[in-house]
Amino acid sequence: MAEGLNRREFLVCSAAGVGTLSLASPGLGSLLESQAQMAIARWTGPVPASLSEEQKVAAKLTEQVMEALGGMRRFVKPGAVVWIKPNIAWDRTREQAANTNPDVVATLVRLCLDAGAKRVKVGDNPCDLAQKTYVVSGIAEAAKKAGAEVVYLDRERFREVNIKGERLKAIPIYPEIMEADLVINVPIAKHHRLATATLCMKNYMGVVEKRQLFHQDIPTSLADITRFMRPQLCLLDCTRIMLANGPKGGRLEDVEAKWTLAAGTDIVALDAFGAEMLRRKPAEIGSIKKAVEVGLGTMDYRSLKPKELALS
Amino acid sequence: MKIGSLTLPRWVRRVVQIGFLILFLWMVLATWAPADRLPGTWLKGFFLADPLLLVLTGIAARDVPLLLFWSLITVVVTVLLGRIFCGWICPLGTVHSLAGWAFDKVQSRAKRRDTYTGWQKAKYYLLVAGLAMALLGGHWISIFDPLVLLYRTAATAIYPAFQWAVEQGAHSVFQADPHVGPMEVGPVRIGPFHLTSLSEPVYQFFRDHVFSIPKQAFLGAGVVWLVFVLMVAANGYRRRFWCRYLCPLGALLGLLARWPLLRRVVHQEGCTQCGVCTTACHGASAAAAGQGWRPSECLMCLNCSGVCIRQSCTFRLVSLPWKKEPRLEPVGLSRRGLLWSALGGLAALAAMRATPQGRAKDYYHPRLIRPPGAGPEPEFLARCTGCGMCMKVCPTGGLQPAITEAGLEGIFTPRLVPLIGHCDYNCTACGHVCPTEAIRPLSLEEKHQIKIGLAAFDPTRCIPYVYGRNCIVCEEHCPVPDKAIYCVEQQIQLRNGQSRTVLMPRVDPDKCIGCGVCEHVCPLDDQPGVRVLSTNETRHERHQPIVPEVPGQEDLPYG
Repeated sequence: MAEGLNRREFLVCSAAGVGTLSLASPGLGSLLESQAQMAIARWTGPVPASLSEEQKVAAKLTEQVMEALGGMRRFVKPGAVVWIKPNIAWDRTREQAANTNPDVVATLVRLCLDAGAKRVKVGDNPCDLAQKTYVVSGIAEAAKKAGAEVVYLDRERFREVNIKGERLKAIPIYPEIMEADLVINVPIAKHHRLATATLCMKNYMGVVEKRQLFHQDIPTSLADITRFMRPQLCLLDCTRIMLANGPKGGRLEDVEAKWTLAAGTDIVALDAFGAEMLRRKPAEIGSIKKAVEVGLGTMDYRSLKPKELALS
Repeated sequence: MKIGSLTLPRWVRRVVQIGFLILFLWMVLATWAPADRLPGTWLKGFFLADPLLLVLTGIAARDVPLLLFWSLITVVVTVLLGRIFCGWICPLGTVHSLAGWAFDKVQSRAKRRDTYTGWQKAKYYLLVAGLAMALLGGHWISIFDPLVLLYRTAATAIYPAFQWAVEQGAHSVFQADPHVGPMEVGPVRIGPFHLTSLSEPVYQFFRDHVFSIPKQAFLGAGVVWLVFVLMVAANGYRRRFWCRYLCPLGALLGLLARWPLLRRVVHQEGCTQCGVCTTACHGASAAAAGQGWRPSECLMCLNCSGVCIRQSCTFRLVSLPWKKEPRLEPVGLSRRGLLWSALGGLAALAAMRATPQGRAKDYYHPRLIRPPGAGPEPEFLARCTGCGMCMKVCPTGGLQPAITEAGLEGIFTPRLVPLIGHCDYNCTACGHVCPTEAIRPLSLEEKHQIKIGLAAFDPTRCIPYVYGRNCIVCEEHCPVPDKAIYCVEQQIQLRNGQSRTVLMPRVDPDKCIGCGVCEHVCPLDDQPGVRVLSTNETRHERHQPIVPEVPGQEDLPYG
C-alpha cells in the first residue's frame, strides 16, 4: 500500500489556471487527500488531432482522475471481480459520441487489474444489436486488449429480482453484474429527449431488461435502480458529449469534444456536473431532482470540493 | 464403381457426397452479418454453380448477375460427364441418397422398382412449364430448385428447430440448477458437478460460435417442414423420387447430358440380366436389366458397374459426343407434350396473376415491406428464388418469408416483419448475399437514402396518446441522425383535474426510412402503437402518396 502511495502523483490546479504543478506526495498527507468524493480532469493541452493522440489523452485523463480520487486501490480489493459498465448502447462510432470512449474503458480495465482485481468484465445490455455495438463502438476490442473479459449479456440469463423500489418492483437484472464485487459505472454524457440528459444514473438501464417501461416515469425508475445498485464508483465520460438528437445521435454536428472526465462516489453530484456540461441546470433534470429528494446524493457538486485537474 | 479399368469403391462417392452436404450446411450456418465487414461472396457458392438460376434469371429478368456465370462450369461438366452434379455434389441429392439408404434398411428390396418409367419425363415437362413462365417474368419454378429448397429448409426450418432445442434445453437446466454464485440452489449435483457444468459449456459454445442471433425463428416454417418431410418420405415409394420425377435442375442437367463422353457399356455376352445393376441404380436410368441406358436419367453414381459380379457393366470415355456406340436412349420428349406443358406454365402464371398481389402495379400490400435494394415488385419477383439467404443473414431476424402477403407467386420471398426484427440502420448484408441480386448489393450511403416503408402512429394504441404517460422509446431508437420521429409537447388533463405535459411522438415522412425499429421497440408487444406500412417505399414511385415538404414553406396555410 505504502509503495503504491509513493508512486502517486497529485496534480493541483492553480486558481489562475496558468498551468499544473506536479508533486510527489508524501505518505500521510495523501492518505487524507485520497478520500476525495469527486474529481474532475480537464485536458488543456492541444486538441488531440489523431487517434493515437486521443488515446493518450483519454488514458491520461482516466489515470489522473482516478489518482485524484485516491487511486483504484481505494475501490478494488485484491482478488475482486469488477464489472465495468460503460454505455455500449448504439451502433455508432467513437466520433459520433453515443457510446463511452473505448480508451477510457480500456484504461479503467488496466487500472483495475493493476490494483489486483482477479477478473475484470465489461458488458452492457445495448439498445442496438450487441454484436454490432460492441464492435463498432470500439469498446470490445479495447477492453479485451487491456485484459478484460468482454461479456455479451444473454437475454435468457436475466433473473427477476424484487428491488423494492417506489416504482420498480420485480425486474429482470443480469446476475453476473449483481455478483461482481465492484461495479464501475462509466457512461457518456448525452442529450436525451425524454430524460433531458442521459448520465450516470441512466446508465443503469443497461443492467436490466424490460427497460422500455422506465420511460413512463424515468425519474422514479432511475432512483429505484440507482438505490438498488448502490453506486461505489462512477466515471462520467465527457471526452466527447452529445448535445442534440440523443441518445442515439449520428450527426457529428451534435457532438462536442470536451476532453473532460469526472469521477466520484456521489452519483448525483456527477450527474449534476454532467448536466452543466450539457448546458442544463441540474434542477431541470427530473432524475437528479428525484435522487436528491430520496437522499441518493447532492445536486450541488461544488459542495463536495471536487479536485479539479488541468492536464496538458 | 468402375471407369474403364479404374475401380473405385462405393465409399468414395459417399464421402464426396457427405462432404458436400456438410459443406453446404456449414455455409448455411456461416451466413451471418459481422459488424465490421460484409458477409463473403463465397457464401453463395452453391447457388453460383446452379445453371438453372442462370437460365431462369436470364429469361425472367433479362439481366443476370455476372457471378452466376460460374454455373457454366457445371454446364460444361454435365455435357462432358453427365449428371455428376446430381449424383455426387447436389446436397439435396445426398439427403435423398441417405433417405433411400435408410429406407433400404427397413423396406423389402423386392418391392423396389428401379427401372425407367415414362413418368420420369414429368420433370422435363415441369421445367418447360417453368421456362414458359419465366418468359413472362415468372421466376416461380426457382423456388423448387434443389439448392434453393435445401437452403430454405436448412435455414428457416431445421436450423431454428435445432436452435430451439439447444436453447430451451440449456435454459431448462439453468432454471432448475442455476449454479451461479449466491443464487446457487443446486439440487441436482454429482459430487462437485452440477447439471449446468455440462449444459452451460455446450450452450455457450453454440451461442457464441454457431447461432448468429438468439431465438431465431421463421414464419411458415411449418410449410417448409411439410414439403421437406413429404419429399424425404417419397423415397420410401421410389428411391430418389424427387431427383427422378420432379427436380427442375435435374431436368436441365438431364437435357445437357444427352450425349456425354462418359458412357455405360454393357458387354452382352457376359450379362445374365440378373438385374443387380438396376437394383443399385439411383436414377432408374435403364429400361431393363443391362439395357436401354438413358444418360439423361443417369446420376453417375456408378453403382451398376460396381455391383456387377461378372464385370460386364462398365463406364468408359468416348472421344467424341456424336459417337453412336455405346448406344444412348433419348430423353424421349414429344413435341406435343412440350407444347402443352409450355401452355400449362403460362396458364399457371395467369392463375397466379389473377390475385391482386400478382398485379403489383395497382395494389400494394401494406405489410409487404421488402428489404432495401429490392426493385419494384414484378422485377423483384423475376429474380427472387426464395432461398432464404437474406433471412438467415439478417442480424435482427426481421426478414421473414412471405406466405400470403405476396401471393402464391411470391411465396417464401423475404419481407420485413418489424415486430420480429427491424432493418438495422448500418447493415446491407441481405443485398450482399442474394445470389440473383433480387436485393441489390448497396453501399451504406445508398441504403440510408432508401425508404422501405413509412411509420404511422396509432392514436388508439400509442401510450402517450391513449394513456397520457410519457414513453417515446421509439424516438430514442430512431436511427435517422436528425430523427424521423419527433415530439410535440401537449398539455393533457388527468382524471383528478391536474394537467401534465406529455411528449406526443410524430413521424416526419420526409425523413422516415421505414426501418421499423420504432415498431420493434414499442413496449406494446401485441399491437404496437406505431406500425410501419409500405407507404412511400422508394421502389414504387406510384406508391408515394405523401408529398414532401418544400423547405422554407412549411408554414403555408392549406388551400
